[in-house]
Amino acid sequence: MGKKDANVRMSLQTLRVLEAFLENPTEQLAGAEVHQRCGIASGTLYPILLRLESAGWFVSHWESNDPSSLGRPRRRLYRLTSTGLRRASEVFASFNRGVLA
Amino acid sequence: MSQDERSMQTELGGVAHWLIQHAARRAPESLSSRLEEEWLADLESRPSALSRLRFAVGCCWATMVIANDYSRGRVPAASSAVAARGFITLADRNFGYFSLRSATLFLIAGLHAALFYGLITTLSHTRASATPSNLQNNVVQPVPPEKSPPPQQPGAEIKDWTIHVPKFVVDVPQNIDVESDVIQDTAKSPEPYSTPLPPETPTHVVRQVAGGPGAGFPETADFYPSLSIHLGEEGISTVRVCVDAKGRLTSDPTTFKGSGNARLDEGALKLARAGSGHYRATTEDGQPVISCYPLAIRFQLRK
Repeated sequence: MGKKDANVRMSLQTLRVLEAFLENPTEQLAGAEVHQRCGIASGTLYPILLRLESAGWFVSHWESNDPSSLGRPRRRLYRLTSTGLRRASEVFASFNRGVLA
Repeated sequence: MSQDERSMQTELGGVAHWLIQHAARRAPESLSSRLEEEWLADLESRPSALSRLRFAVGCCWATMVIANDYSRGRVPAASSAVAARGFITLADRNFGYFSLRSATLFLIAGLHAALFYGLITTLSHTRASATPSNLQNNVVQPVPPEKSPPPQQPGAEIKDWTIHVPKFVVDVPQNIDVESDVIQDTAKSPEPYSTPLPPETPTHVVRQVAGGPGAGFPETADFYPSLSIHLGEEGISTVRVCVDAKGRLTSDPTTFKGSGNARLDEGALKLARAGSGHYRATTEDGQPVISCYPLAIRFQLRK
């Protein structure tokens, strides 16, 4: 979806979302799980996830397990791309140097 | 749970479902079905009816933001022509220089400023009324001179004056001669605003040993933030802890001097909290006492 490796405006909430994914970069998280980790309200969280996905930092796909076996609807899972991992690490490193990305 | 509560929760759940479906329909058409399914699935993870309702209201706001992003071209749509038709009504809500979002932000900022002003005004009024009116008199009120000089024990010589404050000992030279002139003058003709010297009493020098981390104090490595390890962040964070005689915290630790990295400072605070009960109390003349002191915590990665 959309252009790849685009610049993303870094708000505090965006940084918190990235931080949640950087804890374990290979982990796939649904929006509900990101909310539990960051405490960001849904009105802010989902636009951020879509922006990061549009910029090529995240990819998303539907949960592959059968909803009837799970006993709940399937979730949309997000994961950091290699580009997203590199760019997110750069952003946090630049903050530590006192430079805004 | 009563029948009424159950029926209310069911109704709230229905409202949340309806809000999400309504919000998803107003999103750009290319995302509409995806968002509806995603949000309804995430809605199931919410524990209470109220949090579900809050989630659904948030989704309504998210739809507006997403539509706004699409209208600015921040998020390219799979089918821009179709998407443009879906959110054209939202894009029309921009009013010249001020969009709906900017107006909301200004309104919130204004409310905060008004609240802050009200708080400051109330506080200053409270402090002014709480100040005793005769405070100035208390400060400058002359102390009546003593009729006779303070009794001096025979053979007791004053070696020195030691003013004891924690960690600092101020020595006043022995040969400062302050006793006779002032006391005699006040005895003869008391000056209304002269400050008499306090009675000379020998002071006791308290030997104080500052506290610190004691036996069983947690390892710093256990509180090294994992993201900081990943990013190679290091630093020294100094926290201020208040510890009772048994080595337990009497209040929540605070950052005394930050490391320049919020994650490390937070890790240091967590370590300081976890160490409660394992601190070595400050002692005065060998007796443990309640005290507050800074505690430096170094986060350093092994090379």
